[in-house]
Amino acid sequence: MKVQIILAGLGGQGILFASKLFSELGLKLNLNVMGSETHGMSQRGGSVIAHLKLGNFESPMIRTGTADFLYSLEKDETYRTLKFLKSGGRCFANLSNPDSFDKKVMDYLKKQRIIVKTCDASGIASQIGSIVAANIVLIGYSVGTGLVPFKYKDLREVLESVSRKKNCIQNLRAFDAGMKEGKLVQEAA
Amino acid sequence: MRKIGQEEETRVLLGNVAIARGIIEAGCHVVTSYPGTPSSEIIPAVAAFKKELGLNTYIEWSANEKVAYDNALAASLAGKRSAVAMKQVGLNVASDSLMSSAYTGVIGGMVIISCDDPGPHSSQTEQDSRFFALFAKVPVYDPSTPREAKEMVKEAFELSETFQIPVLLRPTIRVSHAKQSIKFFSPEILDRRANFKRNPQRWAATPRYRLVLHKQLNETLQKIQKRFEQNTRWNFELGRGRDVSLGIITCSVSFAILMDILQELNLKGIINVLKIGTPHPLPQKRVAKFIKKHKKVLVIEETDAVIESQIIDKSRVLGRLTGHVPQQGELIPEVIHDILAKVLSDMKITDLEKSSDEKLDRLIEKLKISVRRPTLCAGCPERAAFFAIKKALPKAIYTSDIGCYTLGLNLKAVDTVIDMGAGITLASGFYQAYHQDKKDIPIVATMGDSTFYHAGTSSLLSAVYNNARFILVILDNEITAMTGMQPTPGLGITADGSQGRKIKLETLIRGCGVQWIKAVNPYEVKKLINLLKKAREYTQRSDGGIAVIIARYPCLIRYPEVLRENSVKVEITDDCNNCRYCIDFFECPALYSDSEKNRVDIDRTLCVDCGVCMNTCARSAIVPLSKNA
Repeated sequence: MKVQIILAGLGGQGILFASKLFSELGLKLNLNVMGSETHGMSQRGGSVIAHLKLGNFESPMIRTGTADFLYSLEKDETYRTLKFLKSGGRCFANLSNPDSFDKKVMDYLKKQRIIVKTCDASGIASQIGSIVAANIVLIGYSVGTGLVPFKYKDLREVLESVSRKKNCIQNLRAFDAGMKEGKLVQEAA
Repeated sequence: MRKIGQEEETRVLLGNVAIARGIIEAGCHVVTSYPGTPSSEIIPAVAAFKKELGLNTYIEWSANEKVAYDNALAASLAGKRSAVAMKQVGLNVASDSLMSSAYTGVIGGMVIISCDDPGPHSSQTEQDSRFFALFAKVPVYDPSTPREAKEMVKEAFELSETFQIPVLLRPTIRVSHAKQSIKFFSPEILDRRANFKRNPQRWAATPRYRLVLHKQLNETLQKIQKRFEQNTRWNFELGRGRDVSLGIITCSVSFAILMDILQELNLKGIINVLKIGTPHPLPQKRVAKFIKKHKKVLVIEETDAVIESQIIDKSRVLGRLTGHVPQQGELIPEVIHDILAKVLSDMKITDLEKSSDEKLDRLIEKLKISVRRPTLCAGCPERAAFFAIKKALPKAIYTSDIGCYTLGLNLKAVDTVIDMGAGITLASGFYQAYHQDKKDIPIVATMGDSTFYHAGTSSLLSAVYNNARFILVILDNEITAMTGMQPTPGLGITADGSQGRKIKLETLIRGCGVQWIKAVNPYEVKKLINLLKKAREYTQRSDGGIAVIIARYPCLIRYPEVLRENSVKVEITDDCNNCRYCIDFFECPALYSDSEKNRVDIDRTLCVDCGVCMNTCARSAIVPLSKNA
C-alpha cells in the first residue's frame, strides 16, 4: 500500500493526535511511515497541517495534487488544503451544514472526480460528551463510508493503544459513533 | 548483558526524537540546550530515553545557548562525549564559543545540533547554519531524513573524537519535525571519568599560539575533506548515467523531496543525482567529477547557496546564484517540482505539468478566506498585561522580545521584536536617543520570564548603569511557553524533572541595580494600569530610574488548574452595541461579533472564564453571568 494523507485544522483540534494514529497504523501494517508536523508559533490558534505518507516514500511532505485523502476539521482549512488532493482523491470534512460549501468549488471538484464527504463530527463528539474528539469521529466516519482502505479493526486497536488511559473509552466511543454515521452514508449510496 | 549495537525495535519518531536517540546510542554523557523551535524536543526526548534505559546522562536546560555550549564543551575537555542543541538563531548567541573552540578543538566527541527554519515558520531569520560551519571552519553533517539524522549523530561523535574538533549537525525543520519509522539499537556504554588534562598552550592559548592552532585547524579540515571524499554513506550518486544533459546536486530534505518527485514523474534513475550529506568540507573532487560528466548541473539545497558557493568552476552550474532556485522561502515539493520543470523545459528535455491547479486556486481565492494569524490563547495573562499597558500609556514606544508575547502585536502594544534581550536594550537605546534631544517620551519594554533569564540581566544592568529611564514589564508566566513548556530558573525544576535551585526574578532585578520593583497579577487590570502610571512618574522623577513591574500569572496551558478556583463566568448583556472595541483591542479568541444579532457573543468552547474581558467594555455590557440564567 502507498497512501498519502493530509490532516488539517486549527491548534487544539487534535491534528497531531490524528497523525499519530495513522503513523501507528502504518507501523502495525508493517509500512514505512513518513510525515511532517507543525509545531511552535502556529500552534497558538493558527492553522495546523500534518502530512502523512505510508509506504515507500523518501520525503515527509506531500506535493499539491498528489494526496489520496484529506481530513479537515474546519471549513476554511478545508478550502486551504483542497489543493493537495489528486484527481480521484477523497475529502472528509467536519461541517455541521453539508450545503454550506461553495457550490462552484464543489462542482469543480466533482469534475476532478474528487469525492467530498461531510460529517458533523463536532456535533457528534459533543453529543457523546467530548467535543475535542471530533478528530476521532471524523476518522471513524471515513472508515464507515468504505471510501478508505483502512480496516475498522486495525484502526480501533491502534486507537486503543495510543489513547491515554483516561480518554480511552471516550475515544473508542467517538470512533464508533463516527463509524456508525459513515455507514449510513454507505448504505444510502 | 545487552550487546552493543544490537537491533531492538522499530518506532515512529519525530526527527528531534531520532536525534536524541542517536545521542543516546552514541553513549553521550552530557547534553545541554536552550529551547527554540524547531529544536526544543531534543532534550525532553533525551530525558525520556535516560529514564527508560536507566542511564546516568547529565542533561540541562541552560540559561541561554552560549551557556549551553560552554557547559557541553567543558564536558568534552574532560574527555566525555557531549552534545548541545539549539535553533539556528541560538547559534548566533553561541557563535563566540563555536569560533574559539574550533581553534582549540575538543577531546571527547562534541556535536552541536543547530536546527534551521526555512520558511521561516517560527524564527526571525532564514539563516543557513551550514555557513557557520564554513565561518568557524568545522565539519557539518546535513541529514535528509530523521533516520539519517540519527545515524549521522553517531558518526559525528566518532569524527569529532578522531579529529578532536567540534562537529555540527544541521537538520532543517522538515527533518526535526518529520516523522519516520526508525530502528533502535542498544546504546554504547562508554565508561569515561572526568579527567581534564592541563595544557594552557591549547586551552588558554594566547594570540601567538592561536596562529599555531589555526594552522592545525586548516590541516585537520584537509584530512576531514579527504575522508568525506571517500564517504559513500552520505555522499553518493544515483542514476544510470546515460543521459548526461542534466545532473542534480542536492542535500538535506530537498534530496528526499526530489526523490519522491522523480519517482512520480518516472524520472528516477534517468536523471543523475549527486547527494551530498557533508557540505563542509565539501568533497570537491566528487563534485567536480560529477559536474564534468554533465552539460548542466542544477544545485538544489536549503536554505542558502552553501554547496553552490563552494563549487570552483560554476560555468555549468544552475542554482540560487543564477536565479534558477528562489533566493528565499522554503523549498517545498511544489517549488522543487517547478524549478525542475522550468530547467527541463528550458533545456528542451521534457515539459511537465504545473504543480498548482490554477483554476482551483482562483475559485478558492474568490472566497476571500482570511489568513488565520496566530493569537494569544483565551485567558492568557499576557493579553491582560498588554491591554493595561495600551490603556495606561497609549502613546509609548513599545519594545518587546521573543516569545508568545510577540503576539502582543495584535493588540498594537508591540512596536519592535529584534532578538532575545532587545526588549530592554532597544528601550535603553530609544531613551538615550531621545534624551540627547532633551525629549522625554514614555517607553514600555515587555519581556517574558525565560527571555529575561536568557538575555535580560546584562541588558538591564547596562541600562541602569547608564541612567536610562523606561518601564520594563516582565511577563512572568512561570514557564517557557512558546517552545513547549520548558522549565525556567524561576521555577527551579531542571531538565530531567529533578529539583534545582530557584532564582527569583526580584532578586536578579534588584541585583541589576533597579530600585523600583512591583509585582502584580495582570488579571487585576485596573491595579496594573494604576501601577503603570506610577511607574511612569518614577521614570520622570529627578531621583527616579528604571521601573520594573512583574506581571505574574501562570500560563493556562501549562497550569490549567489555576482557574478552577476564582473563575468568573461572564455574559454579554443587551447593552452591547457591537462597537467591536473588545474584539479589536482585546482580541480574545473566545469573543466574536455575531453579525446577525448585531452584537458580540462568547464562544463557550474557547472561553476559560478568566473574566478579564469585563475590563474592556466602556458600556459595561460584559458582566458576571447572573445565577438565575
